[in-house]
Amino acid sequence: MTKTLKEIAGALQLTVSTQKDLLPSRTVTGGYVGDLLSDVLAHARKGQVWVTLQTHANIVAVASTKEICGIIVVNGRTPEAATLQKAEQEQIPILVSPLSSYEVVARLWELGVTNREGV
Amino acid sequence: MKDGDVKGTIQATPTQEMIYEVRVHQAMTKQVITVAPEDTMEDVGRVLEENRHTGMPVVKWQKMVGIVSVRDLMRCYREGRSLQPVEQWMSRDVATLYADEPLVHAVQKFERRGFGRFPVIDRKTRTLVGILTKVDIIRCLLQHLEIDYHDLEKRQYVPRKWFLELDSDRTTLSLWFHVDGANFEKAGEVSSKLKRNLQTLGLPPDAIRRIAIACFEAEVNLVIYTNGGELAAHVEPGRVTVNVVDHGPGIPDVERAMQPGYSTAPDWVRELGFGAGMGLPNIKNCSNEMKLESKVGEGTNLQFSVLT
Amino acid sequence: MKLREIIETLQATVVVNGHDQEMEVKRGCGSDLMSDVLHRLKPNALLLTGLTTPQSVYTAEMADLSVVCYVRGKTPDAEAVRLAEERGLVLLCTTLPLFESCGRLYAKGLRGDSEI
Repeated sequence: MTKTLKEIAGALQLTVSTQKDLLPSRTVTGGYVGDLLSDVLAHARKGQVWVTLQTHANIVAVASTKEICGIIVVNGRTPEAATLQKAEQEQIPILVSPLSSYEVVARLWELGVTNREGV
Repeated sequence: MKDGDVKGTIQATPTQEMIYEVRVHQAMTKQVITVAPEDTMEDVGRVLEENRHTGMPVVKWQKMVGIVSVRDLMRCYREGRSLQPVEQWMSRDVATLYADEPLVHAVQKFERRGFGRFPVIDRKTRTLVGILTKVDIIRCLLQHLEIDYHDLEKRQYVPRKWFLELDSDRTTLSLWFHVDGANFEKAGEVSSKLKRNLQTLGLPPDAIRRIAIACFEAEVNLVIYTNGGELAAHVEPGRVTVNVVDHGPGIPDVERAMQPGYSTAPDWVRELGFGAGMGLPNIKNCSNEMKLESKVGEGTNLQFSVLT
Repeated sequence: MKLREIIETLQATVVVNGHDQEMEVKRGCGSDLMSDVLHRLKPNALLLTGLTTPQSVYTAEMADLSVVCYVRGKTPDAEAVRLAEERGLVLLCTTLPLFESCGRLYAKGLRGDSEI
């Protein structure tokens, strides 16, 4: 039972920082959480939603490369201006949650967003 | 440890020390059931049964004159002489303990003589003051161990106030450390040492946590951005003040640097778990007061204090 | 949640100091960035991380966290293990990704910071 990014944003009460219009069309196939870009590049998969604390512009480059459907920034952090700019260029939605990554992932898991292929 | 197995000096455990320190009078039962020499053996039988004892001291004018046991009673009954006075059946060769003897003597005597109990007499007056059984020893040691354990817990959170006893208008204890800027692997070692020192000083754990976290962030900053610096922690009653000084590149815009998320860290730092622009905000969050002064090309002076 | 349950849930292996399996852990937190972990001031938590450097152990020590579990099949550096051994910190490893680790533990009742 896949969800769209819009449904996820609603369920988790996320603030949308950029690319709000893209949310309904983005299907979330799974989730990935991590802040080490090397790990994200190695393990994240297409269509996943990426939960991270990082706010600098590199995250957009990585998200683009891995065809991630959207980024959730945690702990209420504000993405940098350069990051938002790049996100618009690359069409990567960025959402923000005041909760910790542990709690955001927990809620995603409860909603049925896992990280296994085909599940 | 086996007999004769002595390897240099032996460090006594707290329990072993206790057996030498605790005295017989601390473990003994003070309410002693006794009989007089002129009481009958039948009386003895009744008293022993009522109290579920197996023996009793025989006391005349508060002095011990003998001891009568269930065995004596059985022998007496076998011969049908239960109405005879105690003094005819009691044993006069009595092994006793002094009230001021260490428990270890009692343990040794129990082993040597094989008795179930020892009457305890006062060394000076020679009066009977109590009775000691093996169970009394166990109970006493257990009590002492429990007290020690609680003491230990309390002591952890009570600051060692020895420096308060020094006569001055103000006393501080300063701990100085050098942070090596070239070694990222060791980043955290100084904060770790400081933390353990503060624990030794018995500061509250919550305050120690804040100080340690702030120092750790400062230490990591030194390693990322400079070629090292000095960290000094000044401990005084009620407060710890930490000073971190370096002669590195300096911070061009201190106000900006204090903003959460703002970071000038190179990418390799991010792959090592830092550089997310939270170091300085974390230090501010942990401390009660914080002052950051910096001059480009000269270095940085960070000072923060945590109330304890 | 007891250490035993954490190990079971994550199918984790013990690297060091795991003898007290009845040990209680109050909270869970997952991050690769140590400043994030240091930002929270609540002690007695399980840190799930992919950062295998000695700083992951120093972070746990400063923040009074009792257990560190390395995810994504990663193993801690030798220096990290040595530090943990000295300080009595529990180190675990799991092949599960951080995402699944957090999900499973929360489902089993290990809460995050804002709830406890």
